[in-house]
Amino acid sequence: MSALRRFTPQPDGLLLGRFEPIEADLLRLATTQLLEMLRSGTTDPQLTASDGAFGRLLPDAYRDDDEAAAEFRRFTATGLLERKAQNAQIVLDSLAAKEPNAATPDREDSQPVTVNVDPDAVQAWLRSLTDLRLTLADRLQISPDGVVHLATEDTPFLRELYEWLGMLQEELVYAIDV
Amino acid sequence: MTKTAEHTELREAVSLDRPWVTLVWDDPVNLMSYVAYVFRSYFGVTPKQAERLMLQVHNNGRAVVATGNRESMERHVEAMHGYGLWATLAKADE
Repeated sequence: MSALRRFTPQPDGLLLGRFEPIEADLLRLATTQLLEMLRSGTTDPQLTASDGAFGRLLPDAYRDDDEAAAEFRRFTATGLLERKAQNAQIVLDSLAAKEPNAATPDREDSQPVTVNVDPDAVQAWLRSLTDLRLTLADRLQISPDGVVHLATEDTPFLRELYEWLGMLQEELVYAIDV
Repeated sequence: MTKTAEHTELREAVSLDRPWVTLVWDDPVNLMSYVAYVFRSYFGVTPKQAERLMLQVHNNGRAVVATGNRESMERHVEAMHGYGLWATLAKADE
């Protein structure tokens, strides 16, 4: 049997994605948290100014002009956050479409989870994976040189998730970019 | 995905001010493959040009990815933020 590819282009233009159940669960969990964060940012603009993750998701558009940067933020932040939330929702919808029956959670299910991603959803996936990594980079306190500064018991897990999401994104870029 | 510079405002079109530029900055998070993909897919540049721009960001810390009036540069910056890239705008040669 040939090596399994994560994403396989189908003749109908869809991408078929394969995940281990635990991978699908993790991605669903992380994306759900991202979605909650993005929604809290739309309802509470103060949060976007104080939380570092929002600084990565919505960076200043002007480096040396605070007033212009604030103005830009005022006109773009809500729309950007709403679109980022839509993207996260699309990822969740793709994962949910092939979700193993949630009514029987005790059922041992080791079958790979397969998802169909259409070309529009691919765009949402790529952007949402970026948003997840930007958010995790803030949590991990990754400095400009790429060094992780967070040193807690959560670090190994978060770091592994961060790197896995990067791998996933790269696989997606290569899958659509033939 | 199409992207054309629109000359919507006469005031801007006739102005002899220095143009504005859109800059994309190096960040420790975004993957090189993804950044090149964004340049191809949003600005419609060739794979070779996208690769060159991406390497410029990676090696020099930033690259000018577009030049034009302020309004269209703001639109590009907003689009880049939508992709999760770290982009800013400034007057040219600042």
